[in-house]
Amino acid sequence: MKKSLFRLTDVFELCIAYIFCFSLNVLLDYAKTLDLDSYILKAFLKNFIDYQPLVVLLFTFIVIVFHYQMLHRKNAEIFCRILVGDTVFHITSRYVLDCITILVFACFPVALASVYLNVSLTGNFYLVPIFIIYILIGARQVRKKYENF
Amino acid sequence: MKIFRFFISKIFLRKAILGVAMILLLFMANYTTFTAARSVLSTLQGYQETKYINQEGVYIANLDPHSPIDMDKVDRSGTQAVYDYLSSNFNYAFYTDGFMVSVPNADDMEISLGYMNEAYYTLNQFELLQGTDLDLDFDYQIGGEIPVLIGKGLSKTYPVGATITVEESALGRPLTLRVQGVLKSNANHSNFYALSSKTYYNFSILVPVNEEFINHANIDLQWNGLMDITILETTREEAAELGTVIEDNLGAKFNFFSQQENYDYFNEYYVHSLKVMAAITLVLLAIITCFSIWNGLVSVRLMLKDFTINLLIGLSYSKLRKVFYGYFGILSFINLMVISVFTASNRYGCWIRKDTTFVTYGLFGLIGMDWLALLVVVLLDAVIGIVIVESMLRKIKKVPISLGVLQ
Repeated sequence: MKKSLFRLTDVFELCIAYIFCFSLNVLLDYAKTLDLDSYILKAFLKNFIDYQPLVVLLFTFIVIVFHYQMLHRKNAEIFCRILVGDTVFHITSRYVLDCITILVFACFPVALASVYLNVSLTGNFYLVPIFIIYILIGARQVRKKYENF
Repeated sequence: MKIFRFFISKIFLRKAILGVAMILLLFMANYTTFTAARSVLSTLQGYQETKYINQEGVYIANLDPHSPIDMDKVDRSGTQAVYDYLSSNFNYAFYTDGFMVSVPNADDMEISLGYMNEAYYTLNQFELLQGTDLDLDFDYQIGGEIPVLIGKGLSKTYPVGATITVEESALGRPLTLRVQGVLKSNANHSNFYALSSKTYYNFSILVPVNEEFINHANIDLQWNGLMDITILETTREEAAELGTVIEDNLGAKFNFFSQQENYDYFNEYYVHSLKVMAAITLVLLAIITCFSIWNGLVSVRLMLKDFTINLLIGLSYSKLRKVFYGYFGILSFINLMVISVFTASNRYGCWIRKDTTFVTYGLFGLIGMDWLALLVVVLLDAVIGIVIVESMLRKIKKVPISLGVLQ
């Protein structure tokens, strides 16, 4: 992480965002498995379970915001790095790798929680390509901005 | 206004992703609050409605969920024997609904027939939009015209005084009904065991039944009527005796719950459920508010230069605060619109699907409960708005103007 654009707070923020999205999905999956006696609770949770993919997808927008603000804030740093000899390719590659590392790291506690709650692990799979697409779009934005260097 | 328009078009819209993120987060907060508020309001409404059962000497029948029923043992003579015993020993409130019949009407809806006896009618005090209350003795000949109450949806086709012919009825032959009163819009009945679940009467006919009617009715009406039968002015021993009579004649085990047991049930079941729901809502709201504050602070980080330049050239913090509140107000308004349209379309879906017992009338498609829940959402948005705007301003004030401009 020596040459990374990430600081500790950035890692923490992105990790929280990933864990929250995964956890929400796991908790909604778990809610589906509950055999609730209470009609009120069932009816209340149904409002979320019925729209689960949409609800989770809406929350993944916080990850988009993270990438957006991160790359805007790091403009000057990226510019300086390029000035001292770094390349856009290396910067974006490191960014993608860092994001994926954080993503994998965030998957672990969620996977453990899934096992503990006896919820299928595959339920979260669809989120991984979505997050990877966000990462690649973010990296692409950097490349587009500095491709003339 | 000029400053506000400038901020919206030149600063906030230039970083629209942050605005969209704030709308989505607010939407989730609003949706969660709206859902929870509506569930609570609906439950409380149901609780108020069924308060009459929480009286001394009232026992409600409840089919034992752990006792298997042999439907082959349930026959017409068995149910009749139970009703004979009921009539000679008890004062009871009888109500059963959901008997769907085809009656021509302007909205081409199927009609739900509800049957109630005099005691049930007296306890429930139906409010009418037009017409007069039913005569309390329910003393009519079942072969003649039966005075009934109808829902608002049917009143277009059948005004007060009109007659309705129902081909299929619980008596197994056509019935001639005369409209005596029109129930007020969205009159409803809550399920005893799921108070937030409602059956709306807009396309229902409430038929008063007397002893003669029940005695001539088919097994469906008699059996379904037993499910929620409410025994009035009785004792535990007498109710238990009735349970034995039912078990002997029908082979089904019924429990009878008293006032105290009902209170305990309500407290344990509903209060616990509402507490869990409130906890889930609060945790979700706390998380969403944290993300919203984070999003607000990110906006400050990315727009700091614009804000500080405007502060440098004479914009006061109080004006900036007003701009922020205005901006947040717009985002909140967009969300309220989305939730209103979403709810109204759900309600409209019942009309499309011809879902007789769920269709409702209301301003812009929303019923009173929806408007109250929206009011709760507005209050919540005000609280979240204050928290976010004040934290954004605190962050801006922390950065010296000169430093902000240099950034």
